[in-house]
Amino acid sequence: MNRGPKILSNKVAGYSSLITFAILLIAWIAGFSSRLFAVIRFESIIHEFDPWFNYRATAYMVQHGWYKFLNWFDERAWYPLGRIVGGTVYPGLMITSGGIHYLLHFLNIPVHIRDICVFLAPVFSGLTAISTYLLTKELWSPGAGLFAASFIAIVPGYISRSVAGSYDNEGIAIFALQFTYFLWVRSVKTGSVFWSAGAAISYFYMVSAWGGYVFIINLIPLHVFVLLIMGRYSPRLLTSYSTFYILGLLFSMQIPFVGFQPIRTSEHMAALGVFVLLMAVATLRHLQTVLSRHEFRKLFVVGGLVAAAFVFVAVVALTMMGVIAPWSGRFYSLWDTGYAKIHIPIIASVSEHQPTTWFSFFFDLHILVCAFPVGVWYCIKQINDERVFVVLYAISAVYFAGVMVRLMLTLTPVVCMLAGVAFSGLLDVFLQEDTSKKFGNSAYSVTETDENEDPTEKKTLYDKAGKLKHRTKHENNHENGISSNLKSVVILAILMILMMFAVHCTWVTSNAYSSPSIVLAFHNSQDGSRNILDDFREAYYWLSQNTADDARIMSWWDYGYQIAGMANRTTLVDNNTWNNSHIALVGKAMSSSEEKSYEIMTSLDVDYVLVIFGGVIGYSGDDINKFLWMVRIAEGEHPKDIKESDFFTDRGEFRVDAEGSPSLLNCLMYKLSYYRFGELKLDYRGPSGYDRTRNAVIGNKDFDLTYLEEAYTTEHWLVRIYRVKKPYEFNRPALKANERLIPPSNFISRKNSKRRKGYIRNRPSVIKGKRTLK
Amino acid sequence: MKLLRNTFLYALLVLAGCMIFATAQSKQKSGLSLPEKVQNLVEMNMKKPVLRLNGQKFREYVKNAPRNYSMIVMLTAMAPQRQCQICRHALEEFTIAANSYRFSPIYSNKLFFAMVDFDDGSDVFQLLRLNTAPVFMHFPAKGKPKAADTMDIHRVGFAADAISKFVAERTDIQIRIFRPPNYSGTVAMITLVALVGSFLYIRRNNLEFLYNKNLWGAIAVFFCFAMISGQMWNHIRGPPLVHKTQNGGVAYIHGSSQGQLVVETYIIMFLNAMIVLGMILLIESGTLKGHNKNRIMAMAGLVLLTVFFSFLLSVFRSKAQGYPYSFLFK
Repeated sequence: MNRGPKILSNKVAGYSSLITFAILLIAWIAGFSSRLFAVIRFESIIHEFDPWFNYRATAYMVQHGWYKFLNWFDERAWYPLGRIVGGTVYPGLMITSGGIHYLLHFLNIPVHIRDICVFLAPVFSGLTAISTYLLTKELWSPGAGLFAASFIAIVPGYISRSVAGSYDNEGIAIFALQFTYFLWVRSVKTGSVFWSAGAAISYFYMVSAWGGYVFIINLIPLHVFVLLIMGRYSPRLLTSYSTFYILGLLFSMQIPFVGFQPIRTSEHMAALGVFVLLMAVATLRHLQTVLSRHEFRKLFVVGGLVAAAFVFVAVVALTMMGVIAPWSGRFYSLWDTGYAKIHIPIIASVSEHQPTTWFSFFFDLHILVCAFPVGVWYCIKQINDERVFVVLYAISAVYFAGVMVRLMLTLTPVVCMLAGVAFSGLLDVFLQEDTSKKFGNSAYSVTETDENEDPTEKKTLYDKAGKLKHRTKHENNHENGISSNLKSVVILAILMILMMFAVHCTWVTSNAYSSPSIVLAFHNSQDGSRNILDDFREAYYWLSQNTADDARIMSWWDYGYQIAGMANRTTLVDNNTWNNSHIALVGKAMSSSEEKSYEIMTSLDVDYVLVIFGGVIGYSGDDINKFLWMVRIAEGEHPKDIKESDFFTDRGEFRVDAEGSPSLLNCLMYKLSYYRFGELKLDYRGPSGYDRTRNAVIGNKDFDLTYLEEAYTTEHWLVRIYRVKKPYEFNRPALKANERLIPPSNFISRKNSKRRKGYIRNRPSVIKGKRTLK
Repeated sequence: MKLLRNTFLYALLVLAGCMIFATAQSKQKSGLSLPEKVQNLVEMNMKKPVLRLNGQKFREYVKNAPRNYSMIVMLTAMAPQRQCQICRHALEEFTIAANSYRFSPIYSNKLFFAMVDFDDGSDVFQLLRLNTAPVFMHFPAKGKPKAADTMDIHRVGFAADAISKFVAERTDIQIRIFRPPNYSGTVAMITLVALVGSFLYIRRNNLEFLYNKNLWGAIAVFFCFAMISGQMWNHIRGPPLVHKTQNGGVAYIHGSSQGQLVVETYIIMFLNAMIVLGMILLIESGTLKGHNKNRIMAMAGLVLLTVFFSFLLSVFRSKAQGYPYSFLFK
């Protein structure tokens, strides 16, 4: 504000803050409302699998208080092992919604905790948009920031994890991630302890919320390291990183689940190494000012060698002693891309851990994925300390997103920021005339750094008024030679593309990311009406009403959280896949014959078995389709009993029809899925026992269950529940007729499993509809 | 050099002599007893982890009845005129598996690895009615091999791990594969580092190019292209280059959203690059001075951006069923 005309600059500042405020508010509202598809179509309900656990934990915390929650031992999961919940969750999510609940009730607003959980992620998307705006503003310009905020509000890559009802860690973690990065960039720019302490606190929130905090604690040291290599060391960097690292380390160790990991595992060692390196560089810089040149060189060589040798020996020794744990499998699979497939089937079985096709990139990001390399290009062309950060962020995030679909989530914010840079650059060129006449270059200006600008001049770079004067003068002298017609055509094209982006986002959100997956909907092709399949809740409700309170239910691990959350019954395995051998045992029970699995089931005290079967309605995510993973996981632990190749035909196919392998056709999962299905005719013309999901007539139609009995099957057969018989029920010794206390009557019922109707003796039979021919 | 060749020849002679002696010996007493057979096999196995059998030995040790040991036999055609490219790789992997077994603590006389070359024992191939190579077969200690005793290399491949899994399935002997450390990667790395280092050393007075932002920018942008066009997916999944369609044509685009072809990813990379080029041209057209050049740049940028974006969108549309939007053309 030093040189510019004061009145104009006040006016400009007023307009620009009004526009900024309005755009951020609209982004928040748009982001919030586009996440409500599921609530409007179905109801306010928690989605999918993991959110059910988070909801259950939150409800427990609200009911019993924080300390009880920390000490919560959940005996209803992982029967008979149980699970220490307080020490094995990231509590940030529960604390956040619990805090909101507390605040609202303090203000006498009675809101059910479930509604807070459902709407938490959409509300936080607005906060994410604001922190993205702040970060992009620090990195480039306010205009780019507004673009980035609007992009991230509606981009499907982020919506996929934050629709209303998907109550998961990622929903709040992306906000924490962006806010931490904003504070970090701010602290690198200013070198103030205040901002870096703020970054550490925000990092603490992130650690409490999501395991992805490892990304921050590796990216920030990488940034510092690259700055050191580029010779961009400054005392500001020393202050900000040392403050951030020390505070962040201490804070992160306060989370029970994280504990001593930050000083013991390899994932966190990079941060420590960079800290030591930064200290060494700072010491050398200081010594350089004190010592003579010759002394300094000697010290540098000797000291450097000694330090390197010491660090190497220390790391090797600590690793050998087992103090530093090696890389965890999930993390290791990011680097060695073939690792998980061979060694950890349970990781490979999760579809989120698959690599990403170009289709998913475009599906989740649309035009942004094409535009963000432009942002990368300009950030490198006009590099400074904080743009190094965004470039590193982009490159590492795009790599991780390529390896794992799930990590598309960490790529999305940076893509939005860089695409914001690109689009604001475009509009800056082509809206130039209009903007300079109306508002000056207030909101939509790209601040261009001259390449030979020295750091002292950088302060004025973000000063709008000073820039404004420079720019107007520049424009008066040189028209850039593009006719206004061409300009308007270009602007029209850009607006068209942006509009298509908005439409695409809405379409994708509405079609792909807004199904709660516990309530399914399908459109009837004949009359176009929408039918709702509520089989999951029907089954869980049946369980909660008709089984004993301590009944133990065996199912595949995907449904563990839902059974615990909705039916409130004990499960054997659930989505927290911490115990591979227990899961493998369930997998073994599912893939053995009925007799063998009965032994496993009795040893595990199983009362009910629940399977998901989609053959009647053509639901493809059912247990038969997941079955091969059960076999693989079981084979990993019990290679002698379960062999994957037994479940294939001779030609290596996985078939459920008559040509399928005998071990498949007789395993427990097959029998439970297809019990009585052979009698069912779905179509008048089609054969009976036709599986719509796999498009085949099942191979083993006529069989009975010895050790289990059908307890409940939902309306569309989607969920089938079986009761495990007690030993006396199926091998009760038969009493001979003369030993019976109650004499057997002569009446023999003609009812059997096939004929259930009663009949009337000597009923006159009438033959209808026969006309004698004349 | 000459000395070496001489030793080699001598060694060959000795080997040949041994073999002749061995065959002569086995011919002398046809129908060895079981302990003798095991004894011979163990002795042979001391020299080589993979026993080389000819037709006659195959019948003796593998086919004929008194056996209490399992045999994993690889039937192959190593002679260059047979032109079996994968046989060599298969033999390498097989040898790794055999070595891992031979030098592991679980080594016993219950399991032997052997191979039969087509040119040594074509009668074996006739006997087993084989007309392809390589084939991995397991001959159990008792009885005849069943269908499952032939390893399905089309499905599981013939990597040493797959072989060990197959062995574990058929014989309950778990072989932990120990690969001899592969130094080629390290050597390549060291060469690369040395090259880069010497290059930097030669140009030590002129390191300006390291500060060349265009170079770094191009590298970063290219890396982004490689990732967003799904090269990592290709690397992990190894899809085919192109598909052959039903009516004999060639499909460059995979029909479903779940997969992709290698050529397809290159096309996408190109389209993305063109869109990025278009946007950069548009932005640059505002910074340069001089009338005509700017106008041309702006127009070229506009055309590149819109045309290639709508092209990308139509490729996307062809993969996503029911996607309703398109731009410029379908």
